[in-house]
Amino acid sequence: MNPALPKKASGQSRLSLKTRTSFLGYALAAPVAICLLLLVFYPFAFAIGISFTDREIGTVGKFVGLANFRYLAGLPSFQKTITNTIVLVGSVQTLKLVLCMGIALLLNQAIRARQLWRGLILLPWAMPSFVAYLTWRLMYLPQGGAFNIIAVGLGFNSIDFMTRDLAMPSVVAATFWRGFPFWVISFLAALQAVPEELYEAAAIDGANRWHRFWNVTIPSIRHVITVIVLLSTIWTTNGFENIWLLTQGGPSDATMTFPVLAYFGLQTLRIGEASAVSVAMLPVFTILAFIGVKLLERNTED
Amino acid sequence: MLNRIPAGQKIFYYAMLLLIAVIILFPIYYMFTVSLKLPRDIYRDPSLLPLRPTLNNYVLMFTQYQFLINIRNSFIVASLSTIVSVFISCLAAYSLVRVRYPGRKWMGRLILFSYLTPSSLLFIPLAVIINRLQLGNTLQGLIFVYLTFAAPLSTWLLMGFFRGVPFDLEEQAMVDGATRLQALFRILLPIAAPGLIAVSVFTFTGAWNELLLALIFTTSPSIRTIPVALQYLITGDVFRWNLIMAGAVLAALPVMILYYLSQRFVVAGIGAGAVKA
Repeated sequence: MNPALPKKASGQSRLSLKTRTSFLGYALAAPVAICLLLLVFYPFAFAIGISFTDREIGTVGKFVGLANFRYLAGLPSFQKTITNTIVLVGSVQTLKLVLCMGIALLLNQAIRARQLWRGLILLPWAMPSFVAYLTWRLMYLPQGGAFNIIAVGLGFNSIDFMTRDLAMPSVVAATFWRGFPFWVISFLAALQAVPEELYEAAAIDGANRWHRFWNVTIPSIRHVITVIVLLSTIWTTNGFENIWLLTQGGPSDATMTFPVLAYFGLQTLRIGEASAVSVAMLPVFTILAFIGVKLLERNTED
Repeated sequence: MLNRIPAGQKIFYYAMLLLIAVIILFPIYYMFTVSLKLPRDIYRDPSLLPLRPTLNNYVLMFTQYQFLINIRNSFIVASLSTIVSVFISCLAAYSLVRVRYPGRKWMGRLILFSYLTPSSLLFIPLAVIINRLQLGNTLQGLIFVYLTFAAPLSTWLLMGFFRGVPFDLEEQAMVDGATRLQALFRILLPIAAPGLIAVSVFTFTGAWNELLLALIFTTSPSIRTIPVALQYLITGDVFRWNLIMAGAVLAALPVMILYYLSQRFVVAGIGAGAVKA
């Protein structure tokens, strides 16, 4: 694969062609590599390091072993955070998987003006997420919120969407709205790549719609589904904007998640403790990220 | 194909599409409506329609709330982080896709791993590092930390686009005496221009939309970006939803226009390698 280099360069240098090519490769990759070492990998290690100390902003702190994690394990907010994360991610991802598959199948039918519909579907995702969540917070308002205007107009009592019971479903709905276009567009692209012959062959074998969906469609796009679910799970688990702008984790921790709890921790300036919140979820993140790296690497193999 | 679908089914399809359209458009409509209302009309006489529309909120945002400063800050941060990130990522992506050397595979893995790492896992140590570099509360500092997500994102996406360009043309140019860098800038980049546009759009909007890091790294009002300025309007005791929505419309317009203009590149980009959702 290595192409012949220009004559004058190869004639004069004492270094072998291979060494010089390697050197060029390293030099070109260096700026990004340095950025990532400084901004991703060093902070990553640093976070793990300080989570075992009682460090506060302005002090160095001393090693306290697992004290921060023991403290967190006994903290009701932290226990709520774990269950909230499971509920939030579980319900948003299930909704997205089922509904977005449905919408993608719908758009894959012979409908008129498909381009236009695809453009429309992209809208919630094309707008800044903070704009989307601010708008949803406005719509949930008891006074002047769109949902309550509709509810009262239809003769119902006004609803408080931010109670301990309703806050989480409200966050789920808003998070779904903002995130679903990405799934639909990805699924649609995958569906359009399924060879028509496979369906024709299945039809000749007498397969009905349902069989065709499970035996042709799903196996053909399984890889795309896995990748999207995995990536989106990582990012939904670590989403900050939705919770921060809709509820700030409230009421009484009913929607508290890891990033928001860590952010509150940073505000107390006890960064050893705050880091422990992020570090507590590193094992799960690392496993998901390793699977993600493997899956995405497979995409690029040629 | 269309005439093979039974009429009843066709009606069902279009009814579903209509429902989806309403669910998508209604919040956007409401955002726009409230941005045209006076506070008393929002709370005392709630209505889904803009009964007495006014541009007063937009005027107030620019005069009393100096929103132009926030727009300027967001614009500086988003464009500079895009320029820096896309430039260094072009070099790295070229190196990873076109040059063979030991350790290349590991470098690729590190980029993927960074791409998957959310900034919410890194913001506490980043705060310490930025303070130590004395970049806290500056736009330069924010541009620098935005490379945490911008650099892996642009490198990963560019690798996908570069891989799609056949090597022949560059090889031919190098046989004719061009250097590697000339091959990259004169041959590969012009061919991969649509990819370059998609990557720039994603990086720019990623930085334009970012809230968490901006919240931590920009404290004084004069260097706040748009999302930070708007979130400060909800944390007070008085809700100024009329103003927040006017700001939201102004914040959304540039990126919506950007997406509209580059729609075909963007859709190709989603297919190319997924983008943080």
